[in-house]
Amino acid sequence: MNFEAKLRKTFSSDGEILDPDQFINKLTSARYAQALKRSQVISGYLALTVILFVGIFGFNELDQGAILMEGNYYYSTSTDFDQGEDTEYFNDLALYIIEQEEDIWMAFSFLDEVEYDNIINIMEEES
Amino acid sequence: MKTDRELIEEFQRGSDAAFNELVRKYLDLVYGFFQKITSDKMEAEDLAQTVFIKLFKALKKFRFESEFNTYLYRVNVNTANTYFKRNKWRNMLHLDQVPDTGYVETSREKEWRKEEVWAAVGRLPTKQRLVVMMRISQALPFKDIGNILDITEGSAKVNYHHGIKRVKLLLGNNQ
Repeated sequence: MNFEAKLRKTFSSDGEILDPDQFINKLTSARYAQALKRSQVISGYLALTVILFVGIFGFNELDQGAILMEGNYYYSTSTDFDQGEDTEYFNDLALYIIEQEEDIWMAFSFLDEVEYDNIINIMEEES
Repeated sequence: MKTDRELIEEFQRGSDAAFNELVRKYLDLVYGFFQKITSDKMEAEDLAQTVFIKLFKALKKFRFESEFNTYLYRVNVNTANTYFKRNKWRNMLHLDQVPDTGYVETSREKEWRKEEVWAAVGRLPTKQRLVVMMRISQALPFKDIGNILDITEGSAKVNYHHGIKRVKLLLGNNQ
């Protein structure tokens, strides 16, 4: 007997048949299970993306305006107001001071005070 | 009785019953193929299931560029190839663990176990492995093997020749 025939003989005894109906049932369940798993993985990824997005967005929002002074973070409370209107108001005030007092340094010191006033107050309260 | 093309077209229009009919038609062929490759019936059934799940996904976009039969063989062979790769190390270990019975067999007396043969086939380079696998398990003509693997008949013969030579060596048959 040649080598090839001998090899084939190794497999000759096989020939069991599966029940097609049973196999189809198992196949259908396996397909559904796979589809379910796939949809779970997809929704998992979606949820993760949303959490990451909200996390990054939230962190950026909270992080805005934080000023580090003497190892502590201080947050400007001026974000409670409309930033645009606020700036315009202070600019007008500064112009008014320059026109009235004719002293530009006074206007600078006023703007400086406005910017750091809240922080200085907080620091004073803490000490 | 409906042809494969009709069944596939029906399935593409949304009929799962048509797919189930295809499964019924080709179950013996697919299961038989894997039964020859594995020694475990459950494993053969799992591999057959993998093939039909792959077909369920792929047939929705099947364009009839090749015969369904050829396509099915390709899926079978690819699944078997993945199985071999997955079990390569395990097979190598099995092949090396020859029990020492204190009895030296002559090559004429020696009969191989299926696992031994497939472990040796599993150690061949991919193309040789696929050709040898199809030839010894399905006794397919080289022309069909060439069609399935997208190689020429001559290339299939050459790969088979080299592959079988190596299997012979690995199985320790120097006839």
